[in-house]
Amino acid sequence: MIEALSAMGSVILDPNLLLLIFFTTILGVIIGVLPGLGATTGAALLLPFTLTMEPLHAITVLTTIYVSATFAGSITAILINTPGTPAAAATTFDGYPLAQKGEAGRALGIAVVSSTVGGIFSVFVLCGAAPLLARVAYEFRPPEYFALTIFGLSMLASISAGGAIKNLIGGVFGVLLATIGAERVTAIERFTFGLNELYEGLAFVPVMIGLFAMSELLIQSNRINQTINAIGLKAVKLPTKEDYKKIWKTIVRSCGIGTFIGILPAEGATVASMIGYSESRRWSKNKEEFGKGSIEGIAGAEAANNAATGGAMVPTMVLGIPGSGTTAIILVGLMVHGLRPGPYLFTEQVTTVYQIFGAMLVANIMFLGMGLYAAKFFARISLVPRAILWPIVFSLCIIGSYALNSSLLDVWIVLLFGVIGFFARRHGFAVAPIAVGLILGEMVETNLQHSLKMFDGEWWLILTQPLAVFFLLLAFLGLCGPFIFSLLKNKIGEKLNPK
Amino acid sequence: MKIRLYTIPLVIASISLIIIFMALQFELSPPMIVGESMQARSFPIFLMIINLVLVTFLAVQFFNSNPEPVPLEGPPTWGTMLLLIIFYLLTISTDMFIGIAVVMFFMSYLWGERRIYLAALTAIITPISIFFLFDLVLRVRFPRGVLIDWYYG
Repeated sequence: MIEALSAMGSVILDPNLLLLIFFTTILGVIIGVLPGLGATTGAALLLPFTLTMEPLHAITVLTTIYVSATFAGSITAILINTPGTPAAAATTFDGYPLAQKGEAGRALGIAVVSSTVGGIFSVFVLCGAAPLLARVAYEFRPPEYFALTIFGLSMLASISAGGAIKNLIGGVFGVLLATIGAERVTAIERFTFGLNELYEGLAFVPVMIGLFAMSELLIQSNRINQTINAIGLKAVKLPTKEDYKKIWKTIVRSCGIGTFIGILPAEGATVASMIGYSESRRWSKNKEEFGKGSIEGIAGAEAANNAATGGAMVPTMVLGIPGSGTTAIILVGLMVHGLRPGPYLFTEQVTTVYQIFGAMLVANIMFLGMGLYAAKFFARISLVPRAILWPIVFSLCIIGSYALNSSLLDVWIVLLFGVIGFFARRHGFAVAPIAVGLILGEMVETNLQHSLKMFDGEWWLILTQPLAVFFLLLAFLGLCGPFIFSLLKNKIGEKLNPK
Repeated sequence: MKIRLYTIPLVIASISLIIIFMALQFELSPPMIVGESMQARSFPIFLMIINLVLVTFLAVQFFNSNPEPVPLEGPPTWGTMLLLIIFYLLTISTDMFIGIAVVMFFMSYLWGERRIYLAALTAIITPISIFFLFDLVLRVRFPRGVLIDWYYG
């Protein structure tokens, strides 16, 4: 405990790290306010730049981008009715109407404070929950890990974008991509098409850059004629005593919701903010204000989406199962820098782990300052013409992907997955399930193989392991949940509106 | 019956079947290596069978919900995709940085930037800055090409 606290405290005493967090927070806020970029694309683009950094600094860059970009999406959501990140979509419901009433400063103040409280709360939960979960995870053997990854994949069914079936198809294709290369036990080449560079498997980073950044570039090419109506902003106002009285319960509730949703594998800030918003409305005494500029609506969505950031780091670091698209990139970052995610990270690299948590805490405090004093400046950045911004993103994608292994094949992979990701998204398939599937793919197959060996080929003996059965039951609920919910919704709808 | 409605499930099902066919061509390992585990082909085939089941559900869902067809992409999107092909051709025939600069310039123009000097300036300065950052700071050696050979001598 003392070791953990001193590791977290050491972040404040390291001027280099503080400076790095400061500049990365600025960069994260800029990435967050630029519509289309967002935390996931930003982290994917920056990953190659972290290659020569120390592991702590590299992961700090990625996590800082994560928390600051997640918050910054609210700036454009409030001022131009365009969420900078998908996680800020719920903020537009009440943020923009409040800004239209001439209270943009108040709306931003509430968003900044709620985001900071949500972010800090989730880091404390992360500090408490991650070591506890790690202690449980020490007991996991291949059958439990296999069941756990199946649970992680099943949660793709309820990811916000795309439908449940489409997300599962994406997840299965992601797992299939993980089979490219030499099979671990027999060394038989699979889907390498004679390319030696694919013998070790498909590199994660180019696929991520292609799926998230390059596909977004092609999506943005469809939106070049969109006009933006920016609302003027004088200064950001801190919430008044009356405001606090009105929103504190909402913030507390959304902190809990956001962190819990974040912890669930494959769920993320977008789902958290939507649920945080709808729960704020459900519990509010002023339901009629929602959609017209309710400060509870802004607080509910913003506290939840930032609370999800710390929550999503729990399964990522403890189990190696990403909690969202951005944590999938952070997971790749951890692996690239030799920090193998899993319970042993908490015994072998305990200082680094808590320094990462400490850096996340500092980043949450830093964006509070930036949100309060520089939101006006950042809002202007969002007006950078797409025709200039996205060609720059293109060059970053290409050079960044090449730099990782000095391989042109990685560049072609970026282009290929950019086009695949674009058509997938155009037809309602989210790309995050493909990324999560790719990361979990090796875990699924390897643990299935080890389990089969453990049980002499009798696969059904996996069902004799209580923890494995528990995770498989959760997976079953995860798969059926969306269908049961939609059935219930239809039934309730029929009762309320009989023909 | 609208055939267009089922294009996506059909495409996915076809890809799944092709992958199953490809997986069936993988070598078989002798039992002493595989032991009680599974053959290299088993897992991809298992995955694609799951996908075929999911695609069936998707087709049923489409049949019930009758979704709106996705509108065709506009000229800027097709133009941008064409630029990606041009980038590939320029990279393998001349230099990656020439490819990046050319694509950046024409992408800006295609996306509506009519200030030629601004588009050209961005297309030249950005790759040069990133090149020096990666070459001098991150020590990355870029692929051979007209410009790179000239720079490294």
